Amino acid sequence: MNKQMESLKKRVRAGEQRSVRQAEPIHILAECEAEGLSWPRRVARLIRRQCEAEQVVIGPDDLIAFTRTLPAAVPPIYSPEDWARLTAGRTLHELGPISNICADWSLLLAQGLLGRKQVAMATRERLAHDPQTVEFLDSAIESMEAVMELATCYASQARAMGRDDLAGILEKVPAQPAHTFHEALQSLRFCHSVVWLGGNYHVGLGRFDQYMWPYLKSDLAAGRLSIETAENLLAEFFISLNKDSDLYPGVQQGDNGQTLTLGGVTPDGGLAVNELTHMVLRVARDVAMIDPKINLRISAQTDLDLLSLTTELTRIGLGFPQYSNDDVVIPALVAHGYDLEDARDYVVAACWEFIIPGRGMEVVNIGAVSFPAAVDQALRDGLAAGEDFDRMLDRVHIQVREQVNRLADAYSHLLLPPAPYYSVFMQGCLEQGRDVCEGLKYNNFGIHGAGSANAADALAAVKKFIFEEHSLLPDELLSAMVENFSGHEALRTKLEEQGSKVGNNDPKADALLVTLFADLAEACEGYGRTPRGGILRPGTGSAMYYIWLASSHAGMREPEVGATADGRLKGQPFSANLAPSPDARVRGPISTLQSFAKIDYGQIFNGGPITMELSDSVFKNPESVRKTAMLVRTFAQLGWQQLQLNSLCLATLLDAKAHPENHKNLIVRVWGWSGYFCELAPEYQDHIIARHLYEID
Amino acid sequence: MTSGIVFDIKEFTIHDGPGIRTTVFMKGCPLSCTWCHNPEGQSRQPQVIRSLAGERLAGQRYAAAELAALLNEQANILRANEGGITFSGGEPLLQADFVAEVIDLLDDVHVLLDTSGYGNPVDFHSLVGRSDLIYFDLKLIDREMHRHYTGCDNDMILNNLKLLSGSGKPFVIRVPLVPGVTDTDENLAAIAETVRGLPGLLYVDLLPYNMAAGSKYEYAGMEFKPDYDEKRPLNVNALLFEQCGVKVQVE
Repeated sequence: MNKQMESLKKRVRAGEQRSVRQAEPIHILAECEAEGLSWPRRVARLIRRQCEAEQVVIGPDDLIAFTRTLPAAVPPIYSPEDWARLTAGRTLHELGPISNICADWSLLLAQGLLGRKQVAMATRERLAHDPQTVEFLDSAIESMEAVMELATCYASQARAMGRDDLAGILEKVPAQPAHTFHEALQSLRFCHSVVWLGGNYHVGLGRFDQYMWPYLKSDLAAGRLSIETAENLLAEFFISLNKDSDLYPGVQQGDNGQTLTLGGVTPDGGLAVNELTHMVLRVARDVAMIDPKINLRISAQTDLDLLSLTTELTRIGLGFPQYSNDDVVIPALVAHGYDLEDARDYVVAACWEFIIPGRGMEVVNIGAVSFPAAVDQALRDGLAAGEDFDRMLDRVHIQVREQVNRLADAYSHLLLPPAPYYSVFMQGCLEQGRDVCEGLKYNNFGIHGAGSANAADALAAVKKFIFEEHSLLPDELLSAMVENFSGHEALRTKLEEQGSKVGNNDPKADALLVTLFADLAEACEGYGRTPRGGILRPGTGSAMYYIWLASSHAGMREPEVGATADGRLKGQPFSANLAPSPDARVRGPISTLQSFAKIDYGQIFNGGPITMELSDSVFKNPESVRKTAMLVRTFAQLGWQQLQLNSLCLATLLDAKAHPENHKNLIVRVWGWSGYFCELAPEYQDHIIARHLYEID
Repeated sequence: MTSGIVFDIKEFTIHDGPGIRTTVFMKGCPLSCTWCHNPEGQSRQPQVIRSLAGERLAGQRYAAAELAALLNEQANILRANEGGITFSGGEPLLQADFVAEVIDLLDDVHVLLDTSGYGNPVDFHSLVGRSDLIYFDLKLIDREMHRHYTGCDNDMILNNLKLLSGSGKPFVIRVPLVPGVTDTDENLAAIAETVRGLPGLLYVDLLPYNMAAGSKYEYAGMEFKPDYDEKRPLNVNALLFEQCGVKVQVE
């Protein structure tokens, strides 16, 4: 990274770009109502007016232009009354607008917006008799025109500033197809940013090293770019992704889904790793900011040099890349109805879920089954009724099924608002005159199983102490749980220290972990097709549920769980994703990997990583980086699904909590994404600190 | 069947030998080096460790077959990653019969013995014969200084070093550099002179003093009393080894 990029990064981290922000959002409700616009028309109007209201900002050295000046709030297009009428009896996903899917950005780069517009016009002519189709296509066309006009404003300003180099590019893209790497990056910067302006969020960047590589390759071959100049362009593009991200919605700052996916195989099965794969990793390491968040697809054959490079990113504490194993993911997708070519083209969504760019209108996280709630209810009812252990497992099975049914039933009334602009970058929308909200080739829902390690540990404790050792009476355990172990400290110590725990490769607890996920898979499969024509995909992520389930939250359908039979106190968070219970002392990474290897990832295929923290003291020398790379490859060879490694030092985290002003750039992985530690809510900070307590004794 | 006492089993210990390893820390050590950074390894008795993470008991008794079974669960993974099992401590020689029995029960996996060299020659011979690689500590050549800083004579250590070089097994000499104690030119030159030309010697590994050495004492309910100046700059004089034709690396 050259000095210019260093300085740009510093300015963006200092928030200089915020000084050009407009204080107030625009208002368009009145005109929408006066003109009696339809929903798609209102969305198109929103895009148009947002683009018109954007003020042109070009820094003197900018190579890639666009800085958002509009505030975070997206102006309403319906009055609260009309909105209530429109959505009555329907379920909205999170904030409402379509989120967390991935466009096929190659459509933009290959055709340009003018090319896409021509496709829309052709379809409009062919299907002119269908008013709904015409309405959609006109809306898509209106929004594309708005984006092109915004680019024209940028181009004029660049000319006026004497920046003919930049003006030349802005006069071509995004209207025209991109011909160079620089044009491709600029085109993507505009069109990606406008998706956010329209209120859609968790807007992924897809297989960046695949769709961008042809442009870089031809530039390098023709001598238009050197590796160094290409790296600088890429660095600026990555830094620019951090300019506006505080305006993007998320549960916590940093949870914005600006992910990209590298590596893996091509749709025809060839190796997809190329020079750009390496370049992205090098530049991301040097830029060292929280966006874009990188996923790397690997397999048993992935070479150690590439994994050593990615370990460098882990070493400096970025919390990415996250690894997904093609050898496991692709067959599981195919077994569940994905075409092989599409499965080979998968990317990772905002956090972990496997989705197909341009072909998936999937809602990959409609909610989480609370394993702790299912187990807790089953244990309380079963123990009180004097049942045997197997009967209690039956109760868990039923509870999990009921939770899955409740989640899926709620989403049977899912309402996805139209997104005519986002549709431009999806396969078949313009070609068939259908908005993305009406569905794409894949329309599945994902449900995660959260808190699995704690739940399995609780079952294991009951099995061992009550039914095998007979060293604990059911009533004793029940009252200890009711009293939050107050006055039962000895019992709590016993549960914590002598219980069988997931993460130690202990067959007892691990078998129960496997049972929980088998219950989830069976419940999802048993549900059958949803009204949107898709299936339910069971997964292993936990997002914010590890906190919400423990302390209750408006976003949860499941009840808060009090003290649990594994010795966990009321209010303490559960394990995040696939990780041992926060209080469990485990032997180390090998045993933990072995425990989680037992899950059947052929059936549990929505994604959700084994999450491991390595002390930064591990990475003392180049040899240790290589050994960590070897561990990652072993992970792939032995058939795990997804892995997320962090490097952190406890002392640093404690100091950052006490003196945030000294640690503004400290990056941590939270659940499926990286954020700045000092910008997290205290309970998330504490959970991260708790995950690290064991490394120093 | 013998049993032994272990104060920790650590996985992914990538600084304890080639590849990815799991290290078994045997509890109990005949030496009491003033710079010891594993104080819980000194006593043979289990002891409570109180840290930020709460309390735990360091020191668990294992039957040989039980420990071997635990380690064998990982043998495939360790082998695939050019690694294996390391026996460290404390001092493995102090529980030589137990360690020997565990090694005999291990699947085909690389074994590294990390030893102070202080133990009787029969035990030493027994464990060296069962290991693929030996990490052998040499701290001080001067007999009096050795006694002062470790509480023991170094006769047995130097004698075992001779046995080791005649065993045909590859070994690494590890020298903990303690400021003003082991890092003097005089001591380093004496070590270089002692090891030069020994058959089987791969290289000498100089281990710079770790300022965190004393950090575990409080947790273990012990007192850290270094009788040297921790902050004194280290003399990392690798040249003294190179001059003797001894390969040297600094960790």
